[in-house]
Amino acid sequence: MRQLRILSRVFVETGIGLKRSGWSNWLVVSILAIALVIFGTILQFTMVLKEVVNSWGSQLEISAYLKDNCDPNKIAKVVSQIPDVQVVEIVPKDIAWQEMQTTFKVAAINNPLPNTLHIKVTSANSVEKVALRLKSISKIEHIRYPLKVARSINKFRQFLEIAGVVVTAALTFATLTVIGNTIHLVIQARQQEIEILSLMGVSPWYIKGPLILQGASYGMVASLAATLLILVMHFYVDPYVHSQLFAFMPFLPSDLNAFMLPTFIILLLLGVSVGASGGAWTSGKYIKI
Amino acid sequence: MIQLQNVYKEYGGRPALVNINLSIGLGEFAFLVGPSGAGKSTLMRLLYREETPNRGTVMIGGINLTRLTNKQVPLLRRRLGIVFQDYKLLASKTVFENVAYILRALGVPENEVQRRVSSALCVVNLEDKSQDFPDELSGGEQQRVGIARAIVNGPPVLLADEPTGNLDPNTSLEIVQLLERISQRGTTVLISTHDQLIVNALRRRVISLSKGQIVSDVDSGLYELEAKS
Repeated sequence: MRQLRILSRVFVETGIGLKRSGWSNWLVVSILAIALVIFGTILQFTMVLKEVVNSWGSQLEISAYLKDNCDPNKIAKVVSQIPDVQVVEIVPKDIAWQEMQTTFKVAAINNPLPNTLHIKVTSANSVEKVALRLKSISKIEHIRYPLKVARSINKFRQFLEIAGVVVTAALTFATLTVIGNTIHLVIQARQQEIEILSLMGVSPWYIKGPLILQGASYGMVASLAATLLILVMHFYVDPYVHSQLFAFMPFLPSDLNAFMLPTFIILLLLGVSVGASGGAWTSGKYIKI
Repeated sequence: MIQLQNVYKEYGGRPALVNINLSIGLGEFAFLVGPSGAGKSTLMRLLYREETPNRGTVMIGGINLTRLTNKQVPLLRRRLGIVFQDYKLLASKTVFENVAYILRALGVPENEVQRRVSSALCVVNLEDKSQDFPDELSGGEQQRVGIARAIVNGPPVLLADEPTGNLDPNTSLEIVQLLERISQRGTTVLISTHDQLIVNALRRRVISLSKGQIVSDVDSGLYELEAKS
């Protein structure tokens, strides 16, 4: 019961701290919300692009040409057990020859084509890995795959991931600084109160707790505001962008709504944790108990 | 209740307290006197563990303060009442709220808060000012609020650091007499001061510090002018 009473006082003190901060609350929330909107937009963009890149990558196909004396069904079974292999399609040499004759009016000679496997992998990332495994199968004479395309796709995806991390780190740092400055002002305003509480034997977490909660509140409100803004963009801007881009990027996911919930959850977690960390860091730095 | 053994404290190589040996019993009332820079405030800070000595031991109620971890310090301070020269009252809170503030922060039930605060305000004779704000009170009244806040948690030890520093002689005497009455209820009271008038009016134990050393420790003593040098 005592701990509950103290906890309720911590919330009361948080409310008093927020009230005391006045207009600077809105300044912090606005800056944090802008940072989160930028982050959220990049996050959504990255998620959509990753989806595109993955879909694109999964369209990449490896062709494996088999030796004459082997059963294509047996090799297909072996190949399908390789990790990251999604689909294995057998193209028998007779069917391939028939198609070739129909398309190119080839002279009547013996069928020179081998049995072929068309292999689709789960992502562009896996193409080289799977190709290496295929090379080790003795019944496969030769393989062909779009190496340059696979590598470019992988590089682009890696770039997106690194850019995401860099932008997040920069925004987190900027936000921590803004929250830290605001909470520092609160600490200065409460200097005497903090000194009295400390000298009277109140536990440090009672003194620092409201400041950490204040930071977390900024994060929560800012993430809600950011999500609202992103939702507005999602409903009014996305359909237009989607319709324009779909012609150039057929792999663009048709359901962009699927990205909203993860974005909101990530923004909320990031906002609250950055806010609380800002409060904890500043109170740890300026309050010596 | 309070014991210091061979305490040595220095700041940046300059000694502030040298070889302090001191014992103050339960319910005792004592003045710690000396001129500015004699080491009174340093000694008081050692007692509420704002500082730790470079050498020696400081004990309060059997607890060795030099061995306390930072986490244990709040537990020690809950057993101490501290009165400040500048009162340290919160201007935005009423007299009642100022005194109740610590109890609420410690999670004391509200009915108990009401009872204890009323009782503390009764001791300092400020029941009728409980809804006033600090800036509506005189200096003496503000210091009485500070004393009420210091005793509201029923501490066995009360430390008053220059409690009359900002008060006129008559009010100073009233404040010290109030602290004496609190001591008579069983609380150990140590007052640091350089106010000769109040020390000599009460004729209680006087511990004189000069240049970081105890130069005299006399029961029913006076604040001798020599002690200032």
